[in-house]
Amino acid sequence: MFRILFQRAKCIGCNGCVEAAPMRWQVSKKDGRCNLVEGKEKKGIYQVLAGMDEFALNQQAAANCPVKIIRLEVVKAKHQP
Amino acid sequence: MMDNPKVEILAPAGSYESLSAALKAGCDAVYFGVEQLNMRARSSFNFTTDDLQEISRRCQEAQVKAYLTLNTILYDHDIRLMKTIVDQAKACGISAIIASDHAVMAYCLKIGMPLHISTQVNVTNIETVEFYATFANVIVLSRELSLRQVKEITREIERRNITGPSGELVRIEVFAHGALCMAVSGKCYLSLHSHNASANRGACIQNCRKQYLVTDKEDGIELEIDNEYIMSAKDLCTIGFLDKLLEAGVRILKLEGRGRSADYVDTVVSCYREAVEAIQESTYTPEKIEAWTGRLATVYNRGFWDGYYLGRKMGEWNDSYGSKATEKKILIGKGIKYFGKIKVGEFGMESHALKKGDQILITGPATGVIRTTVEEMRVADVVVEQVAKGDVFSMRVPDTIKPNDKLYKVVKA
Repeated sequence: MFRILFQRAKCIGCNGCVEAAPMRWQVSKKDGRCNLVEGKEKKGIYQVLAGMDEFALNQQAAANCPVKIIRLEVVKAKHQP
Repeated sequence: MMDNPKVEILAPAGSYESLSAALKAGCDAVYFGVEQLNMRARSSFNFTTDDLQEISRRCQEAQVKAYLTLNTILYDHDIRLMKTIVDQAKACGISAIIASDHAVMAYCLKIGMPLHISTQVNVTNIETVEFYATFANVIVLSRELSLRQVKEITREIERRNITGPSGELVRIEVFAHGALCMAVSGKCYLSLHSHNASANRGACIQNCRKQYLVTDKEDGIELEIDNEYIMSAKDLCTIGFLDKLLEAGVRILKLEGRGRSADYVDTVVSCYREAVEAIQESTYTPEKIEAWTGRLATVYNRGFWDGYYLGRKMGEWNDSYGSKATEKKILIGKGIKYFGKIKVGEFGMESHALKKGDQILITGPATGVIRTTVEEMRVADVVVEQVAKGDVFSMRVPDTIKPNDKLYKVVKA
């Protein structure tokens, strides 16, 4: 699993993340900024947990972002007893 | 001598500090961006549509026009936001929109919002001026034209009687002072190429301002390019030939610098204000030009040149990185209170020291910029010669300051 963190207020709507990972990123036609699909807002930062199969594409989305507001954090799976 | 036509000094307002500074320094109009659809989208501070009312109010109070930049390239997903911004600007009484995308032009025309054509459109001839006159009352020409070419265009506007939607002759605006870029009319791909950060979406990372090496791939030898920053143009300064700019029929002088500080805006607006008045009063002298140039050099600049106006060949590049300002400011404290009747401000020192005779600068969202010299300072009502970190002190300040205004010491750079 990994967590995607997104500072939406700083988004300039360049479409770069959408090109890399369209399943996770969509531009809002309402205000021209990106939406993180299934993201929940917490103090201005949108967050979502995703499976590692999406990691590479979202890594590309983060690299594409010109204002560097997409961050990925790998979350270690909890040990199952 | 010309018959003193109205000339507008158009100042940058990248923040409330700069807006206040521009208004106090005597500009005729300001330009600013909101949200992400402007050429300074990357900036650490951007106004939002919620600020439109306040900006409009302050400008109307000062009888200054307010122009809203909406001049990035637009994608389909931006159209709704663009229309929302234009609608709100119109409702708030913003004077005009500055645009480069045809969708904005068409929408402004449709709803009757005054429009200016941005320099991003790269207007370089009278036929194009005539084309855009259908939409706009003001056209900002390409920055790469010579004054001879500018004059030809303004002469033809009169001869052909080219009018904008307002019914009046189209007015010509040019860049008079500030940063220039290596790309034609700002249409640059460098930043997008290297960092996926499009300059045309306001996200320029300014790669052109850096120094580069050329590497011989065969033997790996690295060559420095003549010790110059070959893509970093010096800043434009026209104060020395502003009379010629006005004679060429320019009616709006754009001062660049939405990314620069309030004291920069204060100095540049004041100098150009004085210069325009001197030209109109026939007191524009070499001595005054020298003094203005000296003052302009005290604030952020990359060295000055006269751009393309005088028809010189290209090649005025920087020989160093960053500013060549002859003065710099050090943040030393902040404002606490102002006692209006006795014109005394109370401040808290947060670093460094301050003594009698020091030059200081106070900036704030409502204050704009105040420049003064420290005369008498008091700590707990006792006169002191010097204050240092941790001290709370009071001194005379000519104008109102607000809590949390920033206090700077000005020193030689």
